[in-house]
Amino acid sequence: MTNQKLIGLCRQALDQTNKHGADAAEAYGESARTITVTIEKNDLQISRSHKETMIGIRAFKGKRIGFASTNDPQTLDETCADAVVLANASPADERNLLPEVEDIEYVDGIYDPHSETFTTKDAIEQAVKILDIARSIDSRLIVGNGEFSVHIGTRALANSNGILRSEQESLFFYFALATARDGERVSNMDYQFDATRNLSTIDVEPIVRRACENALGSLGAEPGDSFNGPIILSPNAVQGILAGLILFQTDAKNILRGMSRWKESVDTAVASPLITVVDDGRAKDGIATSSFDREGVGHARLELIKDGRLMSFMHNTYTAAAMKTKNTAHAAGPARSLPRIGPTNFEIVPGSTTKDALISEMKKGVLVTRFSGRADPISGDFSGVAKGAYLIENGRVTRPVKGTLVAGNAFEALKKLSGVSREQERVFNFTLPYLRLEGISVTAG
Amino acid sequence: MLHILQAIAHRSDAWVELRYHARRTKRIAVSSGRLEESSSVRLVGVGVRVLIAGVLGFSSTTDLSKQGIEQAVREAEDAARASAVAKRDKIKGLAAVAPVTGKFSVETSDPLDNHSLEEKLALVMRVDSQVRGTSKKIVSSTVAYAEIQDEKIIVTSDGAAAHVFDAKPEFRVLAVAQEGSDQTMGMDSAGVSGGFADLFAKRSPEEMADKAVALAVNQLGAEYAHGERATVVLDPGLVGVLSHEAIGHTVEADIVLSGAITNGKIGTRVASELVTMCDSGPSTHLPHAAGELLVDDEGVKTGNTVIIEHGVLRSYLHNRESAAHFGVEATGNARAFEYSDVPIIRMRNTYIEIGGSSKEEMIAGVKHGYYLEGLGGGGQADSNAEFMFGVREAHLIEDGKLGKLVRGVTISGNAFDVMKSVDAVGSDFSWDLGAGNCGKSQLAKVDAGGPHLRCVVTIGGRQE
Repeated sequence: MTNQKLIGLCRQALDQTNKHGADAAEAYGESARTITVTIEKNDLQISRSHKETMIGIRAFKGKRIGFASTNDPQTLDETCADAVVLANASPADERNLLPEVEDIEYVDGIYDPHSETFTTKDAIEQAVKILDIARSIDSRLIVGNGEFSVHIGTRALANSNGILRSEQESLFFYFALATARDGERVSNMDYQFDATRNLSTIDVEPIVRRACENALGSLGAEPGDSFNGPIILSPNAVQGILAGLILFQTDAKNILRGMSRWKESVDTAVASPLITVVDDGRAKDGIATSSFDREGVGHARLELIKDGRLMSFMHNTYTAAAMKTKNTAHAAGPARSLPRIGPTNFEIVPGSTTKDALISEMKKGVLVTRFSGRADPISGDFSGVAKGAYLIENGRVTRPVKGTLVAGNAFEALKKLSGVSREQERVFNFTLPYLRLEGISVTAG
Repeated sequence: MLHILQAIAHRSDAWVELRYHARRTKRIAVSSGRLEESSSVRLVGVGVRVLIAGVLGFSSTTDLSKQGIEQAVREAEDAARASAVAKRDKIKGLAAVAPVTGKFSVETSDPLDNHSLEEKLALVMRVDSQVRGTSKKIVSSTVAYAEIQDEKIIVTSDGAAAHVFDAKPEFRVLAVAQEGSDQTMGMDSAGVSGGFADLFAKRSPEEMADKAVALAVNQLGAEYAHGERATVVLDPGLVGVLSHEAIGHTVEADIVLSGAITNGKIGTRVASELVTMCDSGPSTHLPHAAGELLVDDEGVKTGNTVIIEHGVLRSYLHNRESAAHFGVEATGNARAFEYSDVPIIRMRNTYIEIGGSSKEEMIAGVKHGYYLEGLGGGGQADSNAEFMFGVREAHLIEDGKLGKLVRGVTISGNAFDVMKSVDAVGSDFSWDLGAGNCGKSQLAKVDAGGPHLRCVVTIGGRQE
């Protein structure tokens, strides 16, 4: 669906919602075409195509609000009526507001017109390439799961305050999940992913190589040792253990819910001075880059933590009104659901030390490439299995270990952290370095 | 719609599956006294799958006209043909099934639509207020009600024409307690297939609120567990989690073929002979299991699949493709969450069969160990059946008696080793995993449960 057509649908939804008795409204539309080719057990699984237009409507009755969405334009009028019915039944909340019009600067580079020519056949070719590369590396490898997909879409938003925006985007997305099997020995399962906006920069090779090499490297893992000491987390493990905590604690909705421990912590140290965290909805090459958020507010770069000190929370219109502060344009989510708060392109800024140098300083420790377990964002307690883990002895990675449990508290770990790598890797919309944590409980499996 | 789908399916040369799916969902969420969400979603479309030259292709459309659906069939056919060149392992065929026709509807005496939006909203607001009013230590509360109502018409070119109606409501309570800088969380939830009264048949909303508050408050200041291998008594919730998450996924035939630990183990001993494990489409033992599925999304009538019988692995979970591959009957495990999802092998209601011991006897027989209840804070398992789960509530057992509460407990191990260590199975039964969804590239409403069970696991705690 073109920009103009989707804007038209959003405007129509506004009119109809008003007609059903709303005082104000917001209509957000997403229209997308996707092609997905999936890989299972070293072979193509299925190719599929999908087209859908979804409209989500927020109806306001004074300060009462209701939300309804539909993927069927035939039921748009009933859906607008649903939103008003829901608003009528809801209690009023003075923070229920729509953002006002502000000029925004549209970002470049998120839509490649050439992507429109990309066909199912092209997607199949890329999926076959993933399989061919894995086969060429080692016959013991199994790409248990993988995918190549393209998403070409349009988003549009109209609200009663006069905001009217739309933009197009394209995204090629691919991942590989590799395991190595040697007789009865089965390796750790390694997952690698990448994405690009441009047809000309699709390159599946690096992720397939990384997944395969990591899987092979973890073959023959034996139980490790138990100790309390340092561990190094890969970007993937950082996401599981620490990024989730930072997101939860800086989500202004969680401040209002009384669930964030960082409520009174702005301008105080919440992490080691080595840690700086930014969220940038306009980042170049970011897979979550777009010009405006789920409420139509222009994205901007936000420092969440600077040199260990908490700088800001992530806000949408509601939380900014509640906390009498500036909206940071972090309204997020699809058209089918109410705007919530979420990150865009989340980054832990790289340090100056290489990953190898961080390892070389360690007498004994564990390198964790993937964390499988629980990380409670409220208490900060984490505990789980270190997958694809390696023992570090006297400054060197010595052998793969299996079944090793790691446990600690993420609040403490952030403060006692002793190293941030120069290298970063992308884990979906998170760009993260390797981090060295201290005082972690490590239990042999 | 049924006739349009039948006309299109029977005109095609290829095998075709057409699935019309209209879904209405509603959700109400209140947090600390403020309404966070009151929403409804309408989702409708047709998912089309075709099999051409041993290759599947899929397409979905929201254009419900005959032309729109025919166009989707053509796109699915194009996708299949384009893949055929590169796919190595062609599908030899689909397991034959008796064509399922007619109407299938989840049973309830109290349909969701008999209860107004206002009533549901008032209930959520009231329970949220109760959570905060019960203890001064509660600093945050969240209560949510959600419902899914589905109508599906599943038509295949080999004779299925099933019209299915389903309803799955759920209710969740979350309480956060604080003392000094110590914050803890307690939760309770319920989810069923059925109506409004069925959702609260086991525990009232008020009882769920009390449970969440007690869990949060009691954990404040509790000691952390120490890491060790220990004998534990698991409640039906954790038995369900272990059955579904740690074992169930490893017997899904697609995962088996991807190299799961269960590959080639049919007929071998994988668990204690006290253990019989099943996955059932209908609700077994107790009604309204949340994963209830009367006809699967390939139009196969479901039954009860015995996965492990007295410790011996008997069956994987199949769709028609994998059943043909293994030369067995389809088990009715093909499911698609939304119209735009491809049906894949999923569990339904997974459980351990009832045994002969009482919970009290099982606890009395433990010198040192733990009594563990419910999944808390997530966890994971892999195709080797290695698992790690957070535990919602853990009590020490010393000399056969329940002792103090400990926090931060996780359990881990290999699920089959754990099942081999089972030395007592309870005589009770409960479904306990009905709220929330199982994720496997798409969501599914499932349930799991069983009786209490005694076994040996690794307790994750802290290494001083």
